[in-house]
Amino acid sequence: MKLSAIRPIALLLARELAITALLILGVSFVVFIIIYLSPGDPFGTLLKGQTTLPNAPENIRGALGTPPAWYAQYLSWLVNMVQGDFGTSTRTGLPVLNEVIRVGINTLYLTIGSMMVTLLIAVPVALFAARRGQTPVNWVLTMLAYVLSALPVFWLGYIAIYISMHHFGLFPLAFASSAQKWSWLYFMFPVLVLGLSNGTTSEVVRFLREEMSRVFSEDYIRTARAKGASIWKHSFKEGFLIPITEIIASKIPFILGGAVVVEQVFNWPGMGRMAWQAAQDRDFPLIMGITLLAAVFVRMGSLLQRFVHILVNPRASKE
Amino acid sequence: MKRYSQYTIEVGDLWDVSFWKKADTMDLIYIVYGLFIVILVVVSYVLGALSLLPHNPQEINLELLMAPPNTAGHLLGTDFMGRDILSRLIIGIQAYFLPGLLAIAIALTAGTIFGVLAGYWGGGLDTTTTYISNLLNSFPRLVLILLMVAAFKPDIYTIMLVVGVTNIPAVASLIRSKILFLKQKNFIEAAMALGLKSWVIIFKHILWHNCRAILIIQATLGMAEAILMETSLSYLGFGVQEPTPSWGNMVQAGANYFMQGNFWPSTAPALAILFTILGFHLLGDGLNNILEGKRG
Amino acid sequence: MNSRPVLKIENLRTFFYSKGKRAFVRSVDGVNLRIGKGETLGIVGESGSGKSVTALSIMGLVPGEPGVIIGKIGLKTDNIQKNLLQDLRDYVKINMSTGRIMEVYKDNVGWQKNVDRVMQGIRGTEIAMIFQNPKLALNPFIPIGKQITESIRINTPIKKRSQARERAMYWLAKVKMDSPRLRYYNNPYGLSGGMCQRAMIAMALSSDPSLLIADEPTTGLDATIQSKIVDLLADLKSSVGVTTMLISHDINVIKALSDNVAVMYGGTLLEHGPVGIILSAEHQAKHPYTAALLESIPREKHIREKGYLQAIKGDVLDTINIPLGCRFYSRCDKVTEKIQEKCDNHEPDLREISSGHSLRCWLYYE
Ligand SMILES: Nc1ncnc2c1ncn2[C@@H]1O[C@H](COP(=O)(O)OP(=O)(O)OP(=O)(O)O)[C@@H](O)[C@H]1O
Ligand code: SF4
Ligand SMILES: [Mg+2]
Repeated sequence: MKLSAIRPIALLLARELAITALLILGVSFVVFIIIYLSPGDPFGTLLKGQTTLPNAPENIRGALGTPPAWYAQYLSWLVNMVQGDFGTSTRTGLPVLNEVIRVGINTLYLTIGSMMVTLLIAVPVALFAARRGQTPVNWVLTMLAYVLSALPVFWLGYIAIYISMHHFGLFPLAFASSAQKWSWLYFMFPVLVLGLSNGTTSEVVRFLREEMSRVFSEDYIRTARAKGASIWKHSFKEGFLIPITEIIASKIPFILGGAVVVEQVFNWPGMGRMAWQAAQDRDFPLIMGITLLAAVFVRMGSLLQRFVHILVNPRASKE
Repeated sequence: MKRYSQYTIEVGDLWDVSFWKKADTMDLIYIVYGLFIVILVVVSYVLGALSLLPHNPQEINLELLMAPPNTAGHLLGTDFMGRDILSRLIIGIQAYFLPGLLAIAIALTAGTIFGVLAGYWGGGLDTTTTYISNLLNSFPRLVLILLMVAAFKPDIYTIMLVVGVTNIPAVASLIRSKILFLKQKNFIEAAMALGLKSWVIIFKHILWHNCRAILIIQATLGMAEAILMETSLSYLGFGVQEPTPSWGNMVQAGANYFMQGNFWPSTAPALAILFTILGFHLLGDGLNNILEGKRG
Repeated sequence: MNSRPVLKIENLRTFFYSKGKRAFVRSVDGVNLRIGKGETLGIVGESGSGKSVTALSIMGLVPGEPGVIIGKIGLKTDNIQKNLLQDLRDYVKINMSTGRIMEVYKDNVGWQKNVDRVMQGIRGTEIAMIFQNPKLALNPFIPIGKQITESIRINTPIKKRSQARERAMYWLAKVKMDSPRLRYYNNPYGLSGGMCQRAMIAMALSSDPSLLIADEPTTGLDATIQSKIVDLLADLKSSVGVTTMLISHDINVIKALSDNVAVMYGGTLLEHGPVGIILSAEHQAKHPYTAALLESIPREKHIREKGYLQAIKGDVLDTINIPLGCRFYSRCDKVTEKIQEKCDNHEPDLREISSGHSLRCWLYYE
């Protein structure tokens, strides 16, 4: 690639980065506003089980002084966050950032793994359908994708747990101890379950099939056939790479949502389970941290998609 | 009367294309199945609302725990407390039906408004709506709802409001791209050249004639979304609480028994979820293929 | 026609099934052609007369939609031994006496696979094609040079990447691309339509084909670029001398480049012969349609604006309901009372009226 071509692309990438930063800022504001408007009293919830003094919350409030105006609160929260201080969990007293990163990695593994499973199922079906049109095999596979997408993920989880208990002697609580014989299976099951029934399979099949068939009917694919070249090679970028990054990026929120349920089913120590716990405890700093991190995951996915789009597609820089 | 040459092919002559290749046939099957599910859900909702049930869904029968289907007048058996599963499934529809309609109404109304603003007037409005939808799309929906749960302890209607709001961008972007498509085809220019008023063009020509299919499809898919959300939340314990039945908490309540090998009390509501969501998905996609001509 | 033809087509029919109208569109309906070695055959005709579909049928690139394609296409042979359509007719059952299609069991997948198998080693290698709309016809994601290199490595004995690249540079220079070494790395979007067409031509010629099919190589380009491309093609014709089937609306392009001309209308050839006879204004014996076409030349500018050729009164033939008699009857102004009955009811056959010149018109049959 020539140097003159790199400059505008670098500018575009920088622009995407800036947009991402802006959006994350917006996310933090929305999160703040929701919590700010909440009627409850996080300290009250926390102290209920820990102290018998009737007016402990008021005393603590008094000791902390009157709260400043909302924008001041937001700004100080934001400044602290930028410096890496996300506060401490009101329940455990541990720093939120460490906690969230610790569980975030588990969730990342779960999300990426199950995305792989989904793609492993959906991509062959979609490509087959794009090339071959409607065939009985294809119809059965497409139907299967639909059924998988409608399957309640928790119920599939039960089946997986039942199998692991009765066939491999594994128990959900044993997640932490990896000494058991089949324990690696226990790392696979949640990924498989979420991958199979996160509800996106049929959409991935549909989207990829349509994009691929569209590209197959482009003029330049006809040219490729006319010179005896592989149409797969020529349709790869527009028919596969761009759509697949697009669908992955747009489905990350769904898979993260599914992760909340799957983590609950399998006792998986991830963000979703922690969010569930935090929602029950009304542990505001923690759930704010988790929501932010989840949004960052989503934005990173989109950023990746935009980067691929810009780097792969020479027309993007003209848009 | 014109005569044509001998090769004129008559309609009856052709086509021995096998069943599988007729995309339309498949779409029709999708739609028929989907409509069947929709009717079943609506009828069950009405029956539930009128309390026309085979059994009292709350009636505990300790003599008949976890009966298999079709025992002693219980068509779908009983759960771990001897309650009639069929009646509980029917009543369970109350948990998502109206809230789901609320979510759909919000998503379609606001989505249409934003879509028209962005597509028809474009410019700065377009950019703004794009940013807002990117912002809304940044939140995993369930996580956002958990945040709301923590903040407000909302009921199912409020939660569905959130579901509806987070669905706005999807509807808006569909409407917007449809309008841009019409613009590109000079359709709107032509309508303006005819001297039609903006609101006539928007309501009659754009929305009614060109976007109603999109809206119907989105409503269908929106219901699937609402069911998924409600069952997930009830499963997590944030939605409808026992003993009021909802499909999600029925699956959850049956979990312990499931692990002991009594699959049915958990599986029955799970299958109800499966077939219902499947029906709404197939209906939406089948309508999309036929009305929007995705497969030509 | 003394030498063996490079391409010979017998009775080619390509129909598309139109779902909406529930009938076949008979885009190509009984075309017979032969192209001799080194010859350039120009094909003219109005928009929708089936020129592109003929070309695509030869290449086996007819879109995989419901339809029928029958006939014989032979490459480099007189008695059609290697029939490029060989097995395709297995997919339709035709009542031969009435010509009515009884049943179509074309399964597009099997059909396409079959075409791909039959055409393997012919596409690109033996027959190369230049498409109209070069900007869309080149892969926008791959630099043009790489696309040429790819074609060279597939279709010629040159397999080494570096050699193929040198060869591609050579061809880029040969089609007079300015600074070929830089352009090699450009994606099509950065190039003008004319440059893209040069690259297309380079790509087609680089594999040293026996036959080049150029489907409207100048349409859609600016007038000045058009004439440059025509000059280039004329140049290449004398220096490379490849056998060419040149399709165009533009009678001037055909005149400048071809040896023989075929006039197409409503899916068939109405006239076929040396360019000197068919396209010269002086020569009197010609098909009424050709005459009308030639008269339309002064309005050529108008054609360019419209992008297609339609300067003859009346509409282009509706290829679903093809009339019983002469296809041009409804628009013909040369019908005499004597032949009117024939024109209306019987389709004239393609007869040779002088050496190498044949046409389809009752006027010339005594
Ligand atoms: N894939 C297809 N499906 C249905 N009909 C088609 C298809 N391709 C071409 N046709 C029809 O075949 C007829 C001939 O088309 P063709 O492209 O060969 O015309 P042409 O002579 O090349 O015209 P132009 O000068 O506009 O390129 C047209 O009426 C067109 O509608
Ligand atoms: S056959 Fe008759 S109608 Fe046809 S071109 Fe000749 S004179 Fe005209
Ligand atoms: Mg054409």
